[in-house]
Amino acid sequence: MAATKTEFGRDPGLQFRMILTLFLLGALYVVFAGALFAAGANGVLILVICGGLAFFQLFTSDKLALHAMGAREVTPQEAPELHAMIERLCIQADLPKPKIAVAQTNMPNAFALGRSQKSATVCATTGIMNLLSPAELEGVMAHELAHVKNRDVAIMTIASFFASIAAMILQFGFLFGGGGHGDDDDGPGMLAIILFSLVVYVVSFFLMMALSRYREFSADRGAALVTGRPSALASALRKISSGMDKLPQQDLRVANEMSAFFIASPKKVVAGLFSTHPPMEQRIERLMSYESQLQRGTLAAA
Amino acid sequence: MGLFDALLGGKKKLKAPAPDRLFAMSTAYVTLDTSHAIKTTGSAGIVFQPLATADFEAIATEMEEILSGTGADTGTTIRTTDDEHGYRWMILSDDDIEDLVVGVNAVSDALAVGGYGDRVLAAVFAFEDSKGRPVYFIYNYKRGHWYPFVPAGKLQRDGERELQIKAIIGDELPIEPELERWFPLWGTPI
Repeated sequence: MAATKTEFGRDPGLQFRMILTLFLLGALYVVFAGALFAAGANGVLILVICGGLAFFQLFTSDKLALHAMGAREVTPQEAPELHAMIERLCIQADLPKPKIAVAQTNMPNAFALGRSQKSATVCATTGIMNLLSPAELEGVMAHELAHVKNRDVAIMTIASFFASIAAMILQFGFLFGGGGHGDDDDGPGMLAIILFSLVVYVVSFFLMMALSRYREFSADRGAALVTGRPSALASALRKISSGMDKLPQQDLRVANEMSAFFIASPKKVVAGLFSTHPPMEQRIERLMSYESQLQRGTLAAA
Repeated sequence: MGLFDALLGGKKKLKAPAPDRLFAMSTAYVTLDTSHAIKTTGSAGIVFQPLATADFEAIATEMEEILSGTGADTGTTIRTTDDEHGYRWMILSDDDIEDLVVGVNAVSDALAVGGYGDRVLAAVFAFEDSKGRPVYFIYNYKRGHWYPFVPAGKLQRDGERELQIKAIIGDELPIEPELERWFPLWGTPI
């Protein structure tokens, strides 16, 4: 089972493309709804069609994402340690056992997929399993299980859907408030409506990224609680962030919305506002404060 | 977990141990033994996460001393071992299942009193059927449920046998209703 290894140059524009993909994905809804609306479809119909699309996305995205990452579900015989580790974490976190997949790539990463706790899949790359010690890997898998427990995949999908809804509501508002009365067919025009909706969507898009960062912190905290070893996850994050810059990231080109569920963003090219993950230093800092709370015996009570 | 927890990113605490149904084993064992020839091997273990905090080690050591002390009366012996997954096992040996149940309960109580009750993963009781095959009963503290675990060779489990066992003892032992939570524990040191 040799991993196909291809040399790719460094790609500073990768993060940007990823964000753009995510952005366009949502913009598609907005433009689509705008077009339907301008074509004279009624509001309810538009909501039903777009809702259906979001629903479809929610139900199929995990399989597509796994396929895109080249990940394959593994049996307990193929990956006994990984299975045993996750089983124990599941008992501790009171979760049903998720499907476990492994992606053959040197890039150290892990992610969780699936709309519900029962249909969840957690995936680790061969890179991360080689890079980290068992305790560190346990911290990372606990972080992914915390995403499952917190239902982050469903929440982020729904959040992106809401962002589109916000833009659509604006489209209606434009019609009833702004212009388009009488026989003035030129009115605000289809283009203006769509453009304006896009602006609203841009704003909600940044809010969505912020939401994703908060949920990242929350998953770190969940992992610290479940393993009782915040420092192990902190150490894992440090290893990943330093290992990340040295390795090619060819596989990430296919990663779009699922990047929100990676343990670490691939690079800090586009910082702050555009980032689905908080800066590594901040995450490590928080984990260290959990560690001192744990040592004082105040973590569980906090 | 409710909607509110989901939106706020989860509960702030680990789930506390469920109401104790550990003692159901004492009565269920009578049926297992007399009607189905599933007999105790004389050992049981309790597995938990050892934390790297100062008072945790003190609590664990104290607990072992107390149990060794009471063990002198009942004949229960106790030993501690760490497994390859970083979990700690306290293994009790006694031919009387009643003493094993009491001993396991004493360990989890001591951890709970010390504030570490949420670190207990499971209790495992080892049995053998009439053909000498191992049968484990695992008690999940978080859920307060039991389930059977029958290993059949390397990393294989005998699902049929486990379901049979559920059928014969399900009335007397609170069995975990969701099959996907029948987590195996490979390489148990008992």
